[in-house]
Amino acid sequence: MSYKKLLTVFAPLLFFALLLPQTVFAQESANCLACHSAMKGKLKTSGGTLIELNVDTEKFRSSVHGSLSCTDCHMRFSDNPHSSPSASVPPQVLSISSRISSKHGVDPVAAAACNRCHEEIYNKVLGSVHGKNITDKNQTDGALCLDCHGSPHYITSAKDPTSKISRENQVETCGRCHGDKKIIEKYNLQENVMNSFQESFHGRKLHLGHMRAPVCASCHNSHDIKSKNDPSSPVFGKNKLQTCGKCHEGANEKFISAITHRPPGPIPHYAEKALILLTMGVFAFVVLHVLLEAFSDIRDAIFRKEREE
Amino acid sequence: MSQTNTAAQQEIPKEIERFDIIFRIQHIVMFTTFLLLSFTGWGLKYAHEPQGISSIWIRIWGGAETAGLIHRIAGIGMLLDFISHVIYLIYLFATKKMTINLKTTVIPLPKDIFDVIKNFMYFFGLSKEKARFGKYSYAQKFDYWAVFWGMFIIGFSGYALAFPMQVSYIIPEFTTGWIWELLGIMHSDEALLAIVFILFWHFYNEHLKPEVFPMSWIWITGKISTENLKHHHPIEYDLLFPQEAQKDKKE
Repeated sequence: MSYKKLLTVFAPLLFFALLLPQTVFAQESANCLACHSAMKGKLKTSGGTLIELNVDTEKFRSSVHGSLSCTDCHMRFSDNPHSSPSASVPPQVLSISSRISSKHGVDPVAAAACNRCHEEIYNKVLGSVHGKNITDKNQTDGALCLDCHGSPHYITSAKDPTSKISRENQVETCGRCHGDKKIIEKYNLQENVMNSFQESFHGRKLHLGHMRAPVCASCHNSHDIKSKNDPSSPVFGKNKLQTCGKCHEGANEKFISAITHRPPGPIPHYAEKALILLTMGVFAFVVLHVLLEAFSDIRDAIFRKEREE
Repeated sequence: MSQTNTAAQQEIPKEIERFDIIFRIQHIVMFTTFLLLSFTGWGLKYAHEPQGISSIWIRIWGGAETAGLIHRIAGIGMLLDFISHVIYLIYLFATKKMTINLKTTVIPLPKDIFDVIKNFMYFFGLSKEKARFGKYSYAQKFDYWAVFWGMFIIGFSGYALAFPMQVSYIIPEFTTGWIWELLGIMHSDEALLAIVFILFWHFYNEHLKPEVFPMSWIWITGKISTENLKHHHPIEYDLLFPQEAQKDKKE
């Protein structure tokens, strides 16, 4: 079948595919948004958590999930008014929701519902150092979908510069935890990772808009992130050969030691001190000499004219 | 005095060559690449501060990729310029076109330190005489050797940073823990030193000083007037025109 014929068959189908979710959206979500787009402020649940009631319809519609209906994720909320949401939930989502309930006290089902479409990625996250912190250690500060991707109603493509995980914002997003002293202490994380990245050639180039400069996930991976001490981490030992090799073709063992988050050792540290001393010394001599010479020239021009014949 | 001058004018040329065409070209390549390297490197060194200005500055240079390319090309150009200078010097010495005379050499000598002290005393009014220089004053020697220092420190570290993969094969194993960091620090800190040095020392001595403003033209003409030579490089003048020096002394 030729390309054109294919098109004539599929184009209308594609067209309807575009229309379909819109109509569903119109029927179901409009009911929810009728109230929630107008509601302002936050509500305190019986558990003591503050929840945002407002959903910006425009922003929601233009997000990547704008065509979903509310109950695709908020599965329990099928009735209205939703005083005691109790609609049935698929067992898989239910099982995840129980594992992540320490993090999402209000509606763990909605947070687990991402799994319905993003199953592979969700499983990676649950197996990552971020996910295990929630499922195994029952911590509330392990990162899950929304910590990196932002509000579930307004998620945009990673390529969108306003996305929290875009090249422009990703480092800042990771830094909300990895630059937080309390969290660094609590989990005994590598200190100073934000500064060391910013000071590195990678960080500087990224800041200046270099299109191929790496962000956090370029080296550490994103969803299946591992501790740097985990042998399966892309930055563990010789795994760096492959990780650095993604950009630096032929990276060898002497090369991969170039980029770390470790503070500089004694040799670079004292070398820098010595070079700063040298610079200050030269600067002091040069400026002093130039100024004194200029003053003596002025002095000669005014007071010692006769000496110049 | 006017009589002796007219008699001498037949013997003494109005100006003499100070730098030949090769040296002048090497100087032009040196400062062109220096400016390109400074402009593009500055944006990277201060990428984060002041807020956003470096990003705009780098955009003027065509964005981070282009600025990086300019920096690398200029860096290689400067290194080649330096190598050509060394080769030319070897050639001049080998053919005896240049010989080392302690009165005119650019090699730093103890006399230069005494000259510095003498000049400082003059600046403070403790001495009535300024230092007398040969072909190169200590300021000029400082200028010249600063380039060598820069070439070894900034040039080599810059080459290593531009071609890390190639260089990684030749660096010894025990250095890998700190060498990259050290190279980065050397390159960036010494580049700042070079810029500061040029901005204050070279710019004042060869551009801003009232007697040379807006600049000393020797970099284009390669020639220095004998009057200027007599005033600024009296030892060289005496060496070139001993008879004239004798006459001056008699007066």
